[in-house]
Amino acid sequence: MIEWMHPGLIFILGALLIPVLKGKWKKIYLLLLPIVALIDLLYMSKGVFWRLPLLEYELVFGRVDQLSLVFGYVFVIAAFCMTLYALHVKEDGQHVAAFLYVGSTLGVVFAGDLFTLYLFWEVMAFSSLFLIWYRKTKASSEAGFRYILVHIFGGICLLAGIILHLQNTGSVAFDSFNWGTGWGYLSSYFIFVGFIINAAVPPLHAWLSDAYPEATVTGAVFLTAFTTKSAIYVLIRGFPGVELLIWLGAIMAVYGVIYAVLENDIRRLLAYHIISQVGYMVAGVGIGTWMALNGSAAHAFCHIFYKALLFMGAGVVIEMTGRSKFTELGGLYKYMPLTFWLYMIGAFSISGFPLFNGFVSKTMVVESAAQSHLPIIWLMLEGASIGTFLHTGLKVPYLTWFARKEPVVEAKAVKEPPKNMLAAMGVTAFLCVFIGVFPQALYGILPYPVEYAPYAAGHVVAMSQLLLFTFVGFWLLRRMLHGTPTITLDTDWFYRIAGKRFIWFCEKPLLDFADSIDKALKDIADSFVWFSRNPTAASRIMVLTIGAVVARPFNPAYMHYERDLEELRRMYPGESVHRVAIGTGVLLVLMFFTLYLVIYLTHGVLWV
Amino acid sequence: MEIEKKYLFRMLYVCLAASVLAGVLVNFHEQAHAAFLWQEIPGFSAIYGFIGCILIIVVSKALGHHWLQKEEDYYEKH
Repeated sequence: MIEWMHPGLIFILGALLIPVLKGKWKKIYLLLLPIVALIDLLYMSKGVFWRLPLLEYELVFGRVDQLSLVFGYVFVIAAFCMTLYALHVKEDGQHVAAFLYVGSTLGVVFAGDLFTLYLFWEVMAFSSLFLIWYRKTKASSEAGFRYILVHIFGGICLLAGIILHLQNTGSVAFDSFNWGTGWGYLSSYFIFVGFIINAAVPPLHAWLSDAYPEATVTGAVFLTAFTTKSAIYVLIRGFPGVELLIWLGAIMAVYGVIYAVLENDIRRLLAYHIISQVGYMVAGVGIGTWMALNGSAAHAFCHIFYKALLFMGAGVVIEMTGRSKFTELGGLYKYMPLTFWLYMIGAFSISGFPLFNGFVSKTMVVESAAQSHLPIIWLMLEGASIGTFLHTGLKVPYLTWFARKEPVVEAKAVKEPPKNMLAAMGVTAFLCVFIGVFPQALYGILPYPVEYAPYAAGHVVAMSQLLLFTFVGFWLLRRMLHGTPTITLDTDWFYRIAGKRFIWFCEKPLLDFADSIDKALKDIADSFVWFSRNPTAASRIMVLTIGAVVARPFNPAYMHYERDLEELRRMYPGESVHRVAIGTGVLLVLMFFTLYLVIYLTHGVLWV
Repeated sequence: MEIEKKYLFRMLYVCLAASVLAGVLVNFHEQAHAAFLWQEIPGFSAIYGFIGCILIIVVSKALGHHWLQKEEDYYEKH
């Protein structure tokens, strides 16, 4: 019984047809798929569908409840906007990778068991990799390799956790996991690590700020939405109310902000703000009250739109000017004002200005921290808001569109982007404002009932004060914020430099040491061979050598033995000078057997 | 451009003053709602916004200057 078509399947199977179609039809087809998926989602009833028996377990491809639906909606709507943005891209491979990526994320969202989750989790990692590699630069290829290695590690952690979990509980159902301290929770820890790698929680976050800025212009827009937000979804499912997440989230929110100050690359700065914003969601999951979980889901929903819009704006700048560094940008306002204003809608949204969507979701998380009486967390999250506006709302637009009278690139190259890109930004910007003005549209689809009024006078005034006075601080110190031609070290240092040094250590000193052991053993073996060629002469040489070394200081007359010794060595192995009687040989054999007998008899008695 | 800038800044000052004034009024009304002590200070958000902004810039720049920022070909050279 198929009650509905899995929306992920629409994307995954739909991706296969992309290379077959041409021209206008392909464009229509690309835009149609997300619309079909959205209609499919809207008509979907709640429940558990698409069970597939596998061995003694049951795979569940469709667990549909309010939580999975919220994420499903936002992913499909965002996929439409992003596809519109990428419509001019000629390479089919990019579209196919993007659709597989979207489809597998939807697979994760609707997965009701851990095997299905893992399957789509891996498809997600590998399909997204191609959105980075299609940039076809050396930097993107290297960043892509690092990206996939981190995600493979995360995937292995997840799989290890799933197997342990299966062993402990005998069930593969994907529900909330037990949490506590001790070895008994090892399976939960592994799964937790797998999840927070995808959520880019420091110190496991560097893959994001490393790889996203190297992706293709349109691919990066897709990347901003799916991996981290699907990780938030699985965290809400699996680890609601885990206190550790509150702190990790708050640290994330501030961490991203601090790094954003230092960044010179426009998309890397925005990537650090993904980390910062996802911090709010992670903290919300950790707080774990209905309001906080609603806040996390709502913030994920809003974040996807405004972050996509910001990356679209930055992508347009890169596409049209070929530059991505603040030190090489500036003065673009005259040539691309429309892009600027659309970008600013995203910037106001992420900063949480009233009437923009960030305001109605972020304040929910912050308010839930207040209700749970977490003063330090509250201060950290509010502080991160300051930094968010400071960078995405002030530094980026100032250094990109103003700061210089004329752009450094040739003026004729700088103009507004293709219509489809502007249209995509327009649609996304509209959604940001729409949700900001009519938050009930979003609150109505959240997993838990909402008892929160974002536009209470206190909230609006406090947020306005915070952001307006941030501007004052920015204006005073704006000279300090100019980009510098530098890169900033992050935890990827550990696998880019420390890792390289570790490999060097293995290849050089460690291998040399192994070689020296090898050589010593070979020398010993060689000396046995040497000895066995003529044992008598060899023993004579050995005795004389020892004699020469030991006795010489006491007896100068011993000197002349050395001449004998040299003679012996020269002749060696030669003919045995001293023939021994057969009896001696028999005696040696007997001695050997006796020794063997002694060892045999005493074994287990005197020694083991 | 210069005149426009002057005009914009005058608008900003008005906004700043209005937000602080509104804050005082709201505080007067909603004091019971404050979850933390500092929320009872009128204009706390304004102070926090301003000081927070300066702190973020100065602290991050110091961190970057003394420790984290490296030349662009750092990873190629090491």
